[in-house]
Amino acid sequence: MKKNDFILIIIILAITGLVCCFSMITRKNATTEGAKVVVTIDGREYGVYPLNEDMSETIELIDGTSNTLVIKDGYADITQATCPDQICVNHIHIHYDGETIVCLPNKLVIEIVDGTENEVDGVTH
Amino acid sequence: MFNAILGFACLAKPFLVDEKETQVYNITMEKFKSKKGLIASILVIVLFIFFVVEQGVIQTADNTNAKYTANFLDVFDTSTDITVYANSDEEAEREFKIIKEKLDHYNKLFDIYNDYEGINNLKTINDNAGISPVQVDSDIIEMLKFGKEMYELTDGKVNIAMGSVLSIWHDYREYGINNPGDASLPDLGELNAAKEHTDINDVIIDEKESSVYLKDEKMSLDVGSIAKGYAVQQVLQFCKEQGMENVLFSVGGNIAAIGKKPDGANFKIAIQNPNLNSQEPYVRTVEISDGQSVVSSGDYQRYYEVDGKKYCHIINPDTLFPSDEFAQVSVLASDSGLADGLSTALFNMSYEAGNALINNLENTEAMWVYHDGTIVYSKHFEENIVN
Repeated sequence: MKKNDFILIIIILAITGLVCCFSMITRKNATTEGAKVVVTIDGREYGVYPLNEDMSETIELIDGTSNTLVIKDGYADITQATCPDQICVNHIHIHYDGETIVCLPNKLVIEIVDGTENEVDGVTH
Repeated sequence: MFNAILGFACLAKPFLVDEKETQVYNITMEKFKSKKGLIASILVIVLFIFFVVEQGVIQTADNTNAKYTANFLDVFDTSTDITVYANSDEEAEREFKIIKEKLDHYNKLFDIYNDYEGINNLKTINDNAGISPVQVDSDIIEMLKFGKEMYELTDGKVNIAMGSVLSIWHDYREYGINNPGDASLPDLGELNAAKEHTDINDVIIDEKESSVYLKDEKMSLDVGSIAKGYAVQQVLQFCKEQGMENVLFSVGGNIAAIGKKPDGANFKIAIQNPNLNSQEPYVRTVEISDGQSVVSSGDYQRYYEVDGKKYCHIINPDTLFPSDEFAQVSVLASDSGLADGLSTALFNMSYEAGNALINNLENTEAMWVYHDGTIVYSKHFEENIVN
């Protein structure tokens, strides 16, 4: 086998490898960069926020109740709420696709959409 | 598979040889075989690998067995998440509709606080205690029979006839949560008086008449310790009969699975860390597959505080006060109702007694977390832990 054959094989392998890597990287980036926090109140979409932009907003409902949504370093959290049980405030911040924080008294849900695939499929409470 | 690739390479070879080279093909055949053949094979192998990788990309973008999730906030006073894998939006919607209708059905039947038009539920039975038997849906009869079985199995640590005691705690807790500065504890005398009306033998089930009668007028049913798990088990069985193959139920953290994930992997279920101040959201992660269920009971979610001390919603039938030996107990079982009931029972028992109970049951395991973070397991629980 000639030297050129070797070079050809290596070039082919290198190109394939690069294309594969590139396609995998773009796929991964597409999921993390596109991650959003979707807020719904009583089943109706209230707002969508990108997970990669830090922000803080107090979401006030008509009846005077409120929840404060904070997005920081790629994590979404509820840091304050007027609800009596405070389950949403006690809930740890969320980051992975499909994770939610629910405030049952205020019927408010924040959910991660198009985020990084979560390793776990469900969580007991 | 490798043979197939080589076969491919041999077939592909002639097409890769250009015309000029065919003229000298016979003379240099041996050389050709080794060189061009090798290059062609490698090309084909590379193409094949490329195809497989890209195929993976196409498949995930495709709708085949795509993952769908739905969240409901109006059943069992908790948050419900359902995950299905379907080939189209319509199929997923259809499955969610079936599941939601079933959950609604059981939610209404097992409700002790609300009336529903045209339905006799547990509230109707409680309202008629000491007055008359109430005609009910056979689903209520079956659930109450299961409740009596759980009473026997747990030596009374799960008692669905303890409504009189639980309602006192419920009222104090609700008041305490809404008026934190003014929270107080119920009087033990009041609780002891209520305990007189918790005899499960006074729950008279007439299967022939499909009726239920509470003999003691001061007694009431409260199925909070089993209702969610029992309902999930019934819905799960119904969905199986409907041909659903991969479903994950989470009704307020009461988790059960039909099948596995479409790729053949088990469902990974994280168990919430009872220490809410910890940076670790989960204490352990377990794997479950078809028919398995995992349920946790703990003092970290539904509770109220009196003078800085937490009092949770799980009331020990013996002391009539919340149990505080463990922060959390999780049960893995092949029946969701059993897992639900046992997690409550174990929360009310010592580790030794609970472990003895679990080790007597097949396909049932448990994990106890103490307040200091210490974790203990039943015999085979650790075999289900991932990593």
